[in-house]
Amino acid sequence: MIEARNITRTYRTRGAFTGERVVQALRGVDFTLPRGGAVSFIGESGCGKTTLGKILTGLETFDGGELVVDGVELSTVPQRRRASYFRRIQMIHQDPYSALNPTRTVDQILGDPLRMRARQTGDRAAGVVDRAAELLELVGLEPDGVLPKYPHQLSGGQRQRVVIARALTVDPEVLIADEAVSMIDVSMRLGILGLLRDLRTRLGISLLFITHDVATARYVGDGGELHVIYRGEVIERGPTDTVIQSPVHPYTQCLLSAVPVMRGLEEPGPDRLVPLAALDERTRTPGCLFAPRCPFADERCTAEHPVLGRTGGVEQEHACFHPVPRRVVAVETV
Amino acid sequence: MTDTVQLTAERAEAAAEVSVRDLTVLYRTDQGELPAVAHADIDLPTGTITGLVGESGSGKSTLALSLMNAIPAPGRISSGSIQVNGVGDVTRLEGRALRRVRGRALGYVFQASQNSLNPLKTVGKQLLDLGRAHDVQDMRGLVRRARELADEMGMDGARVLDSYQHELSGGMRQRVGIVLALVLNARVLILDEPTTALDMLSQAAVLEIVRKVHRQEGLTTLVVTHDMGVVSEIADRLAVMYGGRIVEDGPATEVLQRPAHPYTRALIGATARITGDTDTARALPGRPPDLTTVPRTGCVFRERCPLAMDVCAETEPQLLTWAPDRRRACHADPATTAATGEGA
Ligand SMILES: Nc1ncnc2c1ncn2[C@@H]1O[C@H](COP(=O)(O)OP(=O)(O)OP(=O)(O)O)[C@@H](O)[C@H]1O
Ligand SMILES: Nc1ncnc2c1ncn2[C@@H]1O[C@H](COP(=O)(O)OP(=O)(O)OP(=O)(O)O)[C@@H](O)[C@H]1O
Ligand code: SF4
Ligand code: SF4
Ligand SMILES: [Mg+2]
Ligand SMILES: [Mg+2]
Repeated sequence: MIEARNITRTYRTRGAFTGERVVQALRGVDFTLPRGGAVSFIGESGCGKTTLGKILTGLETFDGGELVVDGVELSTVPQRRRASYFRRIQMIHQDPYSALNPTRTVDQILGDPLRMRARQTGDRAAGVVDRAAELLELVGLEPDGVLPKYPHQLSGGQRQRVVIARALTVDPEVLIADEAVSMIDVSMRLGILGLLRDLRTRLGISLLFITHDVATARYVGDGGELHVIYRGEVIERGPTDTVIQSPVHPYTQCLLSAVPVMRGLEEPGPDRLVPLAALDERTRTPGCLFAPRCPFADERCTAEHPVLGRTGGVEQEHACFHPVPRRVVAVETV
Repeated sequence: MTDTVQLTAERAEAAAEVSVRDLTVLYRTDQGELPAVAHADIDLPTGTITGLVGESGSGKSTLALSLMNAIPAPGRISSGSIQVNGVGDVTRLEGRALRRVRGRALGYVFQASQNSLNPLKTVGKQLLDLGRAHDVQDMRGLVRRARELADEMGMDGARVLDSYQHELSGGMRQRVGIVLALVLNARVLILDEPTTALDMLSQAAVLEIVRKVHRQEGLTTLVVTHDMGVVSEIADRLAVMYGGRIVEDGPATEVLQRPAHPYTRALIGATARITGDTDTARALPGRPPDLTTVPRTGCVFRERCPLAMDVCAETEPQLLTWAPDRRRACHADPATTAATGEGA
């Protein structure tokens, strides 16, 4: 189980011409990921999703907040012992093409970490071959056919499955899937999503699902939560279906409105909403971060910062002064 | 007399801006020359947006590139014709005549064009290069036109022309690509995967712009994508490719509502959607073929088709009209394909 409390991360970069650039990539994000549970983070490009994923896997540092893994607050753990906590959390990267070493066969790709793991746990290395085959079967691949192959001999969907199998070699408790299906051919996406769902139910693995494609978040399984992130801040969260069917924050409403409508099978939601402007991450404001793009902003919105809470008599948490449920997602017609 | 006028007008309206006949494109592989597009017949009716969908490797980009006779050697168009209104058969053009047609008659935005601008030159500089390559006399007029187009697409035209690629967001680069494709007043716009690397909000913005420019300029547009959602959001007509063949086409809404080819049906069923029951969605079994693994006899889809019969292994189905304005290439009864095939 992972608990994140008030995680912040600010990047400072200095360009030759542009001067110092400060990006608050995360502004106090917290969430709880229970065993076997699923939390999806959705938001547009640049809002801090990958930064969050990297922090949770130890690939990126954070400046503020607490990260608790299995009840242990990581800042109390000495640096060199943190690795054993981060081992339990594995990331599946978005690009199955660059994630695998092209000069190694699947056999080697899975064998190496399995042997290392066997040494750590004191198991016999002889079990490695069986375990590799077992993992491939688990991710829906046929071991005999796939083991001798190099990555370029596999399709995108098969490669992504190998990436997932490799993440499973270290017996993780948590998988972080960062845009794990966006580079996969459409026809195979549902297969990978179904696999992630299975890993939750069969192995009790928790899933942190990161994407800008809201529709895919529906397929990672029941009981999931959707967290909508905007410029490093969670602005709405609740059960996935609730947030999709009756979002209350205008930013969530804009995101959901942007999901293409399958004409002939669906009709556009009656309240479809478009943001007033494109994202400009340089804008600073004491008020609501979304105000410059929000069709409903008033004076209060530009002066005061709304915080995440459950107000206005709606089911989910949100950070908006004027929460109104709107039906923005497409409606099925057949 | 009035009758004749009306007749001609009607015919002109129904006419195709681009007409592809029996197009075959071969690429060289270690197993010899193999077709990436085989005997393709398709029309782009004047003033419409046609969506071309299919999995990776189905031949979409190859077909789109052929429209400009731009298949990279040693690949080649081995048969067929591509008639473009006011230009003639593009496959017969070469050299200078061909370069003039690209850009002037046919505007093309390449796949991954967000990365295809020259990083070392401002957009304005690239615009002037383009003008020079096409012997544009009125360079001022060209710049003015580019600014107008950029403004229409919701960007600050002057600023965009002064920008380098890295100073523009993905959505802006995509739009700059469209500006450069249209600035020479091309009547036909070809967009290869215009939104693939974009997030949902940028995607929606780009699609809205494509729709608007298409209408305003009275274009004929081809949008190549692997994403059913993108197609259904924007296209009037839909053509589905598999293994180098066009396997189905027709009005977009009708095809989505009543797919008549098992592959189309499977693609729609495999699309992650924001509505409906998530349990009925199914991934397609198997993997899309490449040039060397496409079945050489019979139906190209037969290895993944839930309806495959004996005849499917022997005879390749032809793309035939089976209902008004609907074509499909399949041996099975259209009624069966519509009713079954809910995955494997
Ligand atoms: N190493 C870094 N140095 C400086 N800025 C960074 C760094 N990594 C990320 N950023 C900035 O932090 C913000 C959040 O980036 P992040 O990659 O987390 O976004 P994201 O939500 O994953 O976006 P995308 O959907 O495009 O992947 C962005 O403004 C980005 O430019
Ligand atoms: N220059 C080339 N030489 C040899 N084979 C090629 C060449 N370009 C493409 N191919 C092959 O031709 C087939 C069709 O490729 P094409 O790029 O047209 O597909 P696509 O439908 O656009 O796919 P994607 O969705 O991945 O862009 C593929 O099997 C591809 O590997
Ligand atoms: S607080 Fe105001 S500006 Fe922010 S989302 Fe709500 S209505 Fe819009
Ligand atoms: S021709 Fe046969 S194999 Fe091909 S799609 Fe039709 S039923 Fe399936
Ligand atoms: Mg990211
Ligand atoms: Mg392509």
